Amino acid sequence: MKWYIDSDRPIYKQLVEQIELRIISGVYSPGDKLSSVRDLAMDAGVNPNTMQKALAELERMDLVFAQRTSGRYITEDKKVIDEVKKALAFREIEQFFEKMKLLGFGKEEILTLIKKVEEGENSNDNTKR
Amino acid sequence: MIILSAKNLTKSFGKKIALSNVNVEIPRGRIIGLLGPNGSGKSTFLKLATGLLVPTEGEITIDGAIPGVETKAKTSYLAERTYLNGWMRAEDIIAFFEDFYEDFNRIKAENMLKELNINPSDRLKTMSKGTKEKVQLILIMSRSAELYLLDEPIGGVDPAARDYILNTIITNYKENASVIISTHLIADIEQVLDDIVFISKGEITMTSTVDEIREKYNKSVDGLFREVFKC
Amino acid sequence: MLGKLFKHEVKATGRTFLPMYGALLILTIFTKMALTIGAPDFFTDDIATGPVAEVILGITFTLYVIVITALCVMTFVVIIQRFYKNLFTDEGYLMFSLPVKTWELILSKLLVGLMWSVVCCLMLVISIFILSFGSFSMMEVVQDINMAYTDFNTQFGMSLNIILFELFLCMLVSAISSILLIYASISIGQLFNQHRVLASFGAYIVITIVLQIIVSIILVAVPLLANLDILFSGIDGIKAAQWFINGTTLINLALCVMFYFCTQYIMEKHLNLE
Repeated sequence: MKWYIDSDRPIYKQLVEQIELRIISGVYSPGDKLSSVRDLAMDAGVNPNTMQKALAELERMDLVFAQRTSGRYITEDKKVIDEVKKALAFREIEQFFEKMKLLGFGKEEILTLIKKVEEGENSNDNTKR
Repeated sequence: MIILSAKNLTKSFGKKIALSNVNVEIPRGRIIGLLGPNGSGKSTFLKLATGLLVPTEGEITIDGAIPGVETKAKTSYLAERTYLNGWMRAEDIIAFFEDFYEDFNRIKAENMLKELNINPSDRLKTMSKGTKEKVQLILIMSRSAELYLLDEPIGGVDPAARDYILNTIITNYKENASVIISTHLIADIEQVLDDIVFISKGEITMTSTVDEIREKYNKSVDGLFREVFKC
Repeated sequence: MLGKLFKHEVKATGRTFLPMYGALLILTIFTKMALTIGAPDFFTDDIATGPVAEVILGITFTLYVIVITALCVMTFVVIIQRFYKNLFTDEGYLMFSLPVKTWELILSKLLVGLMWSVVCCLMLVISIFILSFGSFSMMEVVQDINMAYTDFNTQFGMSLNIILFELFLCMLVSAISSILLIYASISIGQLFNQHRVLASFGAYIVITIVLQIIVSIILVAVPLLANLDILFSGIDGIKAAQWFINGTTLINLALCVMFYFCTQYIMEKHLNLE
């Protein structure tokens, strides 16, 4: 998985989101040991202090825990991971609705559209296939 | 813990004022971008910190001391121009650095040369401008200094080398050391910076952390820079 | 750190000089061979053995003179170039960020410059010795030298060594002062924003002229103001010569101090690399 930093939002927040995503999608399994801050920072091409801040934030969210001597680990508590997963899903959906509203769709229209796409009736999709 | 401090720092060349009444404190353990358009006084500031220039008024101190032998031993300065003798081989200049800087790590330098495919027995005059800049940066970053002053470190190198250089900067400095990078190519280095100092016409116009700017203005530092210094 | 600066300065300049000294030695030996074969009695009657020998001798002598001239010019040029280029052009960015004191930078350059000047003179002496070897007897030379010492002693009642030492000191100090004059001129040139090399030349010429004027005034004024007969009455010729030599040494010493501090002041307070 590649790190991706886009232009406008705080970098540490983007790092938090991307590590979240890695945990949810299983790139990092529960109980995995994380690389050192320096290595992670180098890997992502960001400042170590920023990575440190992101990890601190993840610790605050209980997704990551630190063991004083041996480093940082991914939480083994599945519940926490599920909650974050849910929160992320809600966030994505909210953003989606926001954008659709900008395009002028009502709630019902959006839902029917989703169904259509799901059933493969989208015209664009048909031409591509 | 402050590594660099400037108080009412002013430098003028004849009637031309290059820096005017600059006050700034740089803590240890940070990577700072010194950002400003051409001719804004970035280089002058770094030269004053290195001791290549003497302030007209005010003072600048490194770890509490005015630039001199003591501070030069712990600051690693990358000039904006290539200053290496053409007749020297890369290995000669490594020997030179090893002689004069106690904190120079020969093995680190040789490894980096190898990683960038530079032959240590090549003479500098046979190298391209970009390669020379790389050699110079390798020398500078192979020291374990307390303050790195890098004047336009990524000006003339290709994107691949630029990534390598930025990684070198992130990984090579100690936790109690700080790095000041002057540049106008902000987008390239933004994500490795902790703090930024905007400088314009010899005056500091803004100091902030990168994430503060992104939070406050909803813009990257590069975006903000383009807006502030719009021509 | 002075030792390290000295070492690297020798390394940087040696690569120019060593090949030239090598060339001089080879040419000297070659010329000597040509002389021995082509004109064995050269030092007594200056006649080549034949037209071919004459041409070969002509060529080797021309080359010899060219190399010697080049050596002297190069010594002078390198002294200037190492100071100017290494400290005041791009290379200065490296030199002035080294953890060394300004006086160490100046002194390392001065000592190495002086060293090469001395080596240059020595090489010339050695070369001429090789060339003329065989045309005189060492015994006679030693005898002549001994004679000169005893003659001098009986005539002036002092050892020739004293005068020779004073002369050597005078030459050394004046060599140092001429190198420092170059350094000071180059430094003064750096005070200008443009045309710094030209300004350095200007500074050199102006300083030289001013010194000339001062010396002339002294030479004219002293005899006018002081009654030389009184000053030198009871002083023999050799004493007067000593006065002159040591006076010159002292004046040059004063100039050395002046040029040195001028250079150091500019380098410390008004350094402004392009």
